[in-house]
Amino acid sequence: MTAGDAAIRIRDVSHEFGEPGDAQFVLALSHTSLDIERGELLCLIGPSGCGKSTLLNMIGGLLTPTTGNVEVHGKPVRAPLPRDIAFVFQENALFPWCTIIENVKLGMVFQGVPKSEQEPRARKALEAVGLKDFMGHYPAQLSGGMRQRAALARALSLETGTLLMDEPFGALDEQTRMILGEDLSVLLSRSEKTIVFVTHSLGEAVFLADRVAVFSARPGRIKEIIEIDEPHPRSPSFVTTEKFSRLRNTLYGLLHDEIRKAVEQSATAVPQP
Amino acid sequence: MNRPLHLQKVLYRHPGLARLAVVVALFLLWEISARWWIDPSFLSPPSRVVASFGELFETPGIPKALQITFWELAVAFAISVAAGLPIGLAVGLSRFSNRSLMPIILLLYGTPQVTILPLFILYFGIGPPSKIAFGVSHGIFPIIVTIVAGVQNIKPILMTAAHSMGASRWQIFRWVIFPHMIPTFFAGMRLGMTGVLLGVLLAELYVSSAGIGYFTQLFTQAFDPTKLLGLVSVLAAMAIVMNEIVRRAEVHFGRWRTD
Repeated sequence: MTAGDAAIRIRDVSHEFGEPGDAQFVLALSHTSLDIERGELLCLIGPSGCGKSTLLNMIGGLLTPTTGNVEVHGKPVRAPLPRDIAFVFQENALFPWCTIIENVKLGMVFQGVPKSEQEPRARKALEAVGLKDFMGHYPAQLSGGMRQRAALARALSLETGTLLMDEPFGALDEQTRMILGEDLSVLLSRSEKTIVFVTHSLGEAVFLADRVAVFSARPGRIKEIIEIDEPHPRSPSFVTTEKFSRLRNTLYGLLHDEIRKAVEQSATAVPQP
Repeated sequence: MNRPLHLQKVLYRHPGLARLAVVVALFLLWEISARWWIDPSFLSPPSRVVASFGELFETPGIPKALQITFWELAVAFAISVAAGLPIGLAVGLSRFSNRSLMPIILLLYGTPQVTILPLFILYFGIGPPSKIAFGVSHGIFPIIVTIVAGVQNIKPILMTAAHSMGASRWQIFRWVIFPHMIPTFFAGMRLGMTGVLLGVLLAELYVSSAGIGYFTQLFTQAFDPTKLLGLVSVLAAMAIVMNEIVRRAEVHFGRWRTD
């Protein structure tokens, strides 16, 4: 891979919360570099507080790195780039006062899509995620899984080259999560999007990703990158293969010590009297 | 045998019936006590109050007085909303103005303003302007306070989402902050309406040359409770209608919450 191929270039990026010396000071992410290829699905996995969401927010321009820089399609990221990057958040980020289709259209209003294109694009995106019959419903009337489908439709309708997903299925139950993961794999194999996906779930990472970046405990760094060499879309039976278990076990081995470290950190982080 | 049990069940299923029963009982008590126990120069029965509505409206000056009071209420309410909304937004949306100004607003809101009513008369005269000013001074604070609260408890993730999709400041206001505060805005308007009613009527009763305050005093001093209660009923009806209009609008604009 040549340097020009990278859709997202991350160079020597760190992020600190608070001022050094402060009681609240946290070095969330430390001097991280990474290239993400065009059309690749990269999963970020690691213990809580290792800076994976922080990195995602810096790629999306929602946070400014303390050191280093991020480029998306050759453009330095200093603020959100709504034409290049769309987000799907963990929490329900739909506007409760808008119906599902209004929510999808509102994203395009913000992005500056001409009015005549909004309706057909919104319908197409909602059909793609299987919410054709729920366009007129309010978010409160839908289940958590359906709400995340709607949030995904909103992001897809923006037709950005890059999609950033911050534990999009984190708040859902195991079964809903599995189905959404399968559907996502089918949906994304048809698109040329570059995707960065934060998750806590080892299985989800192996099932969805082309590469998995494993983070160390705080201060977060990329410990290792695992290739998942399996074509998309992945069939549900991939989960039962020996290859899947082997990759999952490798990830588990890499993560286990880091998770222990993170737990010990949070135990000692209790303020001294 | 089981008839009382049956009645209990019916009442339990229809709280409206129980409510109606209470209202009817109160009116009956009023009717009976006014007819047989209480001096007619202090209280008159509801039947007579209703029967003399026609006579009340024919009393010279009454239609005009009602018109003036209604107009005072409407103007005071309109000013309270028109001024309270921008002030509430300005105070609520900026951390600085919230922390610097909010304590002053809460202090003013908590002060019993009736003590300075004479000053309002002194500054604005005994005509409608003093009633309107006093109505506004009661109506504007609940509106400001509820709007400040309304714009503050917005979920940060919604602001982040809008920001990430490229929303401008105006778009964030129009599509996120404004719809979010609509239900609280209506709740504030209802509180404001109660305040306006209180302020205008207090000022009317204190001193009045034209509105219904003059007539309530006149009827009280003339020991004519029939007309006094008739006038009060008309005022109550006015308050209920205005409140109901705002409540209906509130339900309509807040559909997404209950649906």
